[in-house]
Amino acid sequence: MQMFHVFRNTPYGRETLLQTAYFCKKMDITPVVYIPAYAKFLLYMENDVIQVDLDESYLHSPETAKAHVNAVMAELEMAPPRFFAPRHFSTPSLPDVPVSFNFMTCPKTISDLSAKRGSGSIGPRIRRIFKAAAFPVMIPPPVYKPFTRIAVMFGGSANAANAMRLAVRLHRLSGMPVSLYTAEEGRRGKKYYEKLLGKHALTGVFEQTVSDWQIFPQKDFIDNLYKVPHDALVIMGAYGHGLIRQLLFGSTLEIIQSTLPNSLLIVGPNYRGTM
Amino acid sequence: MGLYDKVKTWIGESPQWLGGDDRLLLIIFGALVGCCSGLAAVALNFSLHAMEGFFSSYRFHWYFFVLPGMGAALSSLFLEKIIQEGAGHGVPEVVYSVSRHGGLLRMRSMFSRLVSSSLTIGSGGSAGPEAPVVMSGSAIGSNIARFFSLNERQRIALVGCGSAGAVAGVFNAPIAGLVFTIEVIVGEWTALNIVPIAVASVAGAQISRLLQGNQIPFTHLHFDVDISTTLAAAGLAIITAAGCILLTRAIRKSHHVSGKVPVPLWVRAAIGGCIVGLVGLFLPQVLGEGYSVIQKMVEGSFTGGFALVLMLMLAKIAATSVTLGWGGSGGIFAPCLVVGSFSGLMYYRGIDALWPGLLQVNEGCFALLGMAGMIGGMLQAPLTAIFLIVEITGGYETILPLILVSVISTTVCHYFEPASFYFRDLIEKGYYLRPRTDAKVLADLRISELVEKDCISVPKNMSLGEFVKVVQQSRRNYFPVIDEITGAFAGMIHLDDIRPYLFDTLLHDTVFLEQIMTTDVETVDIDDDLSEVLSRMDVSGSFSMPVVTNQRFVGMVSKATLLDKYRKELMLQTTD
Repeated sequence: MQMFHVFRNTPYGRETLLQTAYFCKKMDITPVVYIPAYAKFLLYMENDVIQVDLDESYLHSPETAKAHVNAVMAELEMAPPRFFAPRHFSTPSLPDVPVSFNFMTCPKTISDLSAKRGSGSIGPRIRRIFKAAAFPVMIPPPVYKPFTRIAVMFGGSANAANAMRLAVRLHRLSGMPVSLYTAEEGRRGKKYYEKLLGKHALTGVFEQTVSDWQIFPQKDFIDNLYKVPHDALVIMGAYGHGLIRQLLFGSTLEIIQSTLPNSLLIVGPNYRGTM
Repeated sequence: MGLYDKVKTWIGESPQWLGGDDRLLLIIFGALVGCCSGLAAVALNFSLHAMEGFFSSYRFHWYFFVLPGMGAALSSLFLEKIIQEGAGHGVPEVVYSVSRHGGLLRMRSMFSRLVSSSLTIGSGGSAGPEAPVVMSGSAIGSNIARFFSLNERQRIALVGCGSAGAVAGVFNAPIAGLVFTIEVIVGEWTALNIVPIAVASVAGAQISRLLQGNQIPFTHLHFDVDISTTLAAAGLAIITAAGCILLTRAIRKSHHVSGKVPVPLWVRAAIGGCIVGLVGLFLPQVLGEGYSVIQKMVEGSFTGGFALVLMLMLAKIAATSVTLGWGGSGGIFAPCLVVGSFSGLMYYRGIDALWPGLLQVNEGCFALLGMAGMIGGMLQAPLTAIFLIVEITGGYETILPLILVSVISTTVCHYFEPASFYFRDLIEKGYYLRPRTDAKVLADLRISELVEKDCISVPKNMSLGEFVKVVQQSRRNYFPVIDEITGAFAGMIHLDDIRPYLFDTLLHDTVFLEQIMTTDVETVDIDDDLSEVLSRMDVSGSFSMPVVTNQRFVGMVSKATLLDKYRKELMLQTTD
């Protein structure tokens, strides 16, 4: 398995890479690091092409970038990563990045102006990556933050079921305990969500894997996010809706990512991972 | 799933409710895409006319030469800073997308080139609006396919529909739209493609006729074509081929030279635009798309002499190469038509001066033939050239010399420039893959799909005796050896390697795998191109190779698995 990371040769970029390296070490995944030579690149997904527009800081000091990446890996006692060099270009200054990897790190600053404006929002462009990607996307916290457990946001949807499947897979790879968090809509009760687990054929793995399940009312959602441990890797499903839908219906993802300081692993509707 | 998503899914899965056949679906989408790309073509035409009208009053002032510079600079700024789209000629990007990425094109490409080419051409830059509108139409088709989650084959058909609708709309030439798309963009003549693309062509042309009137771009006098004209066309083909080679190389040279100028892209475009503007101060015929000059030549009312025509032809080649090579936005269709008509006129006047009265036909006929020769040679697409000229001039009576000049020009060009202007860079970089070819099938397969993971890895400090037990449990002849401390791939053991020690049981506890493994093993990376891997297998004569990524053994890739997957992929690509 491989995890794709676009390296930014700045102190913040180092923190992000540390987070990627930690995740890879924990899950025994090979990090694939791209040191960009151009300010944009294309991700050709199965049914979409997404242009990632990096800000100029990603092109900072390319001559020291490789050494800095290797130093970060060494800090976590890891071997040097694979360095990705684009082979194909859609136009001379627009490299294509293959999407054959299994995970991708996608900091909030990677491709959206809204994040720069300080609103804290992920923004529509990054949501488009979740939407189209067949792999989970990790949104790292601004500074390196190791995790020791897995927290899954489970609302019962197909995406949430995929998040649960991913959690089981990561539990098997790392041995980290898994907790489930559900924001209850109305007064549906635990049995309703247990039925949903059954509907997604997850009852068996739930019993074997999940050590703790907390159900709290939807109306106190933000307050109850305090229950999520600070040292947990949070996994959740997201539809990656566009700007208009977000404005109309809101976005749970945006609430969670702006409230929690944890690393987030987002599973989109095209994720086809197995347990 | 909401109603909106349900409708999308229902349409995306339409072959099921259409009895497993998606032809009707593609026809419906083809019409939709054709209408949209026809509208894009009309919008570009209107904006070009508006800009030309606006700038026409400035054309007689000495400072006019800065206008093409300003237009090109704005065009470059728009593409680079606002839209953030790496600029190109348009058509090669569409072909690349069809070849490599199943026709996926960015949404911003639906309008970006329309605006940028309007700025470049409308301000006087020497380029054509056809390639930008092809890019725009193709992006419309691609994004409609994406929206409805259509599969790759359907998406490529819709990209073709967009291109056909655009060409049909911009020239009011539905057959040329169809033929250009099949010959240049899609690259395969299959019923599955032709039907929706033809429908899109009709839709694009119909939209153009509704909004702009049913006019052919270049009206002409009636031509009485005789055998001398047909034979003379063969000679013209040599001239047009020379023009094609000159234009192709001039654009490349210009691009190369501009790349060495250490200034931002928009400044570079401005410099190129100003150079074109300076040429235009003395020879205004080279500015813009140049259709008014063509009209005069086709009508036979162009009054300039042989030397002026030659000068104009060379100036147009120079202006086009500077406009496109220095960062202006536009295509080569229209400049080809202008250069072609100049070369036809020049050839006619040369013949007429040497052998007066030999050619009975009006000189406009040769302007028309020159256009066909130039398009045929530049695009190396003779059918497109023939049908385009027939349709945009309404001159079916010239069909015989048209065919001759197109095919000879294409052949001569092919001799000197093995690939067309659009394909040359793609072929040089190995990006151009025609459907149903070996290269395309191999490019669509990845090493990760072929890796056989049932190999048993053994540590290098394992004794021969323990290894024999492992061999008994495995059906494979190859065993990867790993470093038990680092997990790194150390080498391979083949059953042949242990044969000399196998029957001497005394050695079972004294020989370790580290001593007998092969360390000089050729490995492949999981991201290597399959065609490259196959070549390496052929050179080394090996039947399988270990896949090693970041020093970790991943699995084996073998010719047997490859053949199996290759056949499946080939069947998938060749099933209509």
